[in-house]
Amino acid sequence: MNEVNPVHPELGREVPVGAIDHELKKLWAEDDARTNASLINLAIYSEDPHSLESNSKAVRDLTVEHACRAILISMDFDAPEASIRAWITAHCHLHHGRKSVCCEQLAFALSGRAAGRLHNTVFSHLASDLPLTLWWQGELSWVFDDRFARGVDRFIFDSSEWSQPQDSFAKIQEALQARKALVVQDLEWTRSFQIRVSLAALFDDPVALAALPSMGKVVIRYQEDHRIGALQLLAWLVVQAGWKPAGEWAFGADRAHDSACSFAFESRGGHTLDVVLESVADGPPLQLLSLSGDAVTIEVSRQAGANYLCRHLAAPGHCLEEPGPLDPDECVGLVREQLSRGGKNSLYRKILPTFLELLKTVG
Amino acid sequence: MSNPFREDLVSRTRPEPCSVVIFGATGDLTHRKLVPALYNLAVDGELPPGVKILGFARREKSDEEFRAGLEELNRKVSRSGHDEEVWSSFVQSIHYHRSEFTDAEGYQRLAERLDEIDRERGGKGNRLFYIASAPEFFDDILEHLKGAGLNQAKDGCWARVIVEKPFGTDLATAQRLNQVVNRTFEEKDTYRIDHYLGKETAQNLMVLRFANAIFEPLWNSNHIEQIQITCAENLGMEGGRGGYYDKSGALRDMVQNHLLQLLSLVAMEPPTDLSADGVRDEKVKVIRSLRQWDTPEKVARNVVRGQYTAGHVDGVSVPGYREEDRVDPESMTESYVALRLLIDTWRWSGVPFYIRMGKRLPKKATEISVHFKPAPGVLFNALPGGLPGSNVLVIRIQPDEGISLRMVSKIPGTSLRLEPVKMDFHYATSFGKSSPEAYERLLLDAMAGDATLFARRDEVEEAWKFIDHIEHAWHQAGDEAPAMTEFVAGSWGPKEADELLKQDGHEWRRL
Repeated sequence: MNEVNPVHPELGREVPVGAIDHELKKLWAEDDARTNASLINLAIYSEDPHSLESNSKAVRDLTVEHACRAILISMDFDAPEASIRAWITAHCHLHHGRKSVCCEQLAFALSGRAAGRLHNTVFSHLASDLPLTLWWQGELSWVFDDRFARGVDRFIFDSSEWSQPQDSFAKIQEALQARKALVVQDLEWTRSFQIRVSLAALFDDPVALAALPSMGKVVIRYQEDHRIGALQLLAWLVVQAGWKPAGEWAFGADRAHDSACSFAFESRGGHTLDVVLESVADGPPLQLLSLSGDAVTIEVSRQAGANYLCRHLAAPGHCLEEPGPLDPDECVGLVREQLSRGGKNSLYRKILPTFLELLKTVG
Repeated sequence: MSNPFREDLVSRTRPEPCSVVIFGATGDLTHRKLVPALYNLAVDGELPPGVKILGFARREKSDEEFRAGLEELNRKVSRSGHDEEVWSSFVQSIHYHRSEFTDAEGYQRLAERLDEIDRERGGKGNRLFYIASAPEFFDDILEHLKGAGLNQAKDGCWARVIVEKPFGTDLATAQRLNQVVNRTFEEKDTYRIDHYLGKETAQNLMVLRFANAIFEPLWNSNHIEQIQITCAENLGMEGGRGGYYDKSGALRDMVQNHLLQLLSLVAMEPPTDLSADGVRDEKVKVIRSLRQWDTPEKVARNVVRGQYTAGHVDGVSVPGYREEDRVDPESMTESYVALRLLIDTWRWSGVPFYIRMGKRLPKKATEISVHFKPAPGVLFNALPGGLPGSNVLVIRIQPDEGISLRMVSKIPGTSLRLEPVKMDFHYATSFGKSSPEAYERLLLDAMAGDATLFARRDEVEEAWKFIDHIEHAWHQAGDEAPAMTEFVAGSWGPKEADELLKQDGHEWRRL
């Protein structure tokens, strides 16, 4: 398969948009020793005109584990001329050192007023009968509307990239209300997955579980770009443990420095809980989740550069320290994990209202 | 109170913190399968917190020596590689307990040690006993566990036992073993492990049948002509295996457990739910409905046994079965068996199930093939050659797990010519991630109290009842015993096995 192209070598062969199917057939005919596999349509949408090459590399990585028809879309609204360019290629990987399994990739660059032709030109190239997973990169723009959301089965985004998260989450909520079957997967929520698993594992311990109603203090430490992740983690704790706000949720403490904020809750057992969210300038996105009370401390922490989470449980006469697996930080790794886990992500839907309340409080 | 943070995180029953005691801890199974499986679960963060592993064996060893031996093997065989950081934490949970299997005092010390671990862990005293020793010690171990009170769970806790095969060598020994087991542990706490059921494709069998609306309406004698289950091995008696195998044979070693389990998954009715007993109730009905080959004549008509003679496998010369290491030169143990089975139920009336298992066959492969009846040929009978075969659904258990469907298609061209084509699904191609080892899934299930993938007492005994008739016929004195056939190593078995299918107008699927 010849992938030489003077402009975008990573993208493969440039083809006329109207001849994509024909060119794809030719591509496969060139080498019949390879197997074409796809379980999903994976579209990656970006409004960065230079995103195609890096996203093609991302697809090369993702297709090692997830066979798909990949469709890359870059939008350049500011271009003076309306144009649509398309490229095709295949990403091939050896399985068990013998079988070469390939996934098709179609890349589209839409410029100027041609951006309005997204549906007609791009989504007509989905592999039929396979679900569409769309990974949206960057801010949610006007392109994400009801019609757009209706065509997608699984919508992946990273809310840590949003400068106006309240507006964007409002759009997500609208889409979720309009379409019950839509699965949304926020990579910022994925970043906390293994922390949540580790905490849940620690609470499998009867000593920890017995101490849950008497917890008095919660600390979440996060890198400053991942405040949303920290709030989502807190929303999850609040919803799952059944905590109630103690009076008004006060965004208190050290607002002037913007490095810590605190909330007060009441546990099911009537105890008051102080929750502190601490931000730090550097390090991994989520660095510490600690719950303590009645001489019991339960912590999941992550040191910079560590390959594993540290699960820690300390109670009188009882101490436990174990490593736990870690989520990747970068988006491609997180998308890979999301595709592996699948599911309907109903927990995210469940915590969303509480998270949005917290987000509104923090501002 | 249940753990509220577990909700929606993992879609499986939650394994609980426990101590795992492995009897036969210095053996191959512990080093190659059990500990690497537990290690892989630790890597994936699936092990419940505070799990302790106690190896129980006779040899004199310190914790450090035991751990060093485990580490050496784990480096070689672990599915997820060997990570120093995880291992150094994981290995702290492993300890060695030296005792004879027959020494009551050793079990008392074990009980004290487990209590101490429970105290350190701060509460629950869940215990999982894994009997991976030689079968002759099963009784002693179980009796002594009872003697030390280890079979009794403390309040709010559980004590479970995993028993490795063989579950007896015939119905009488299986019943006796089951009596001993059930005198010690309740049936609900007894987990008879059959690692075939932990394999991904075996689990996928129920999904294939009951989550796809297109198959179940066809899954009966109206549409299916025959079903074949093949378990082929290219290995012989390497590594001293001959000693055990020559006492057991293909029928008892593989058919009684693994292959009849696969058969029951293929042939069972839809269970009312996915609970362990819901599924096992339906599986046992299949085994119970097997027509019994209870006379030497019936056995001779429906079962073929054989031994390989010297030949070539993968281009290498190999000895005949009777020349193998630790095999009796006059052995009458079968290294190959083929059976025709009939299931007397409404669904399967008249559909033969053919099972074959053999050592030193041309390649290693386990699969189930479902052969559908041919389409009425009225339209295409007039073509040269007629219809080129019928539809065959193949479920590959190992290696290269997957599913394929053979269909008939027109060859492109101006004339009407038909050829079979294959639609193929490979796990490895579609899902790049490797599946967990069977033991990983099964150990987690036992910690979680989910016995769906373990054999129940009645399943095991019903299977032995069927197998015993055949064994009895083979051990008749004189000319009444059905003959032992021979085939050249590296071929697909004796010609008598081909004849078995030819009588019904069928032939073995070419693998």
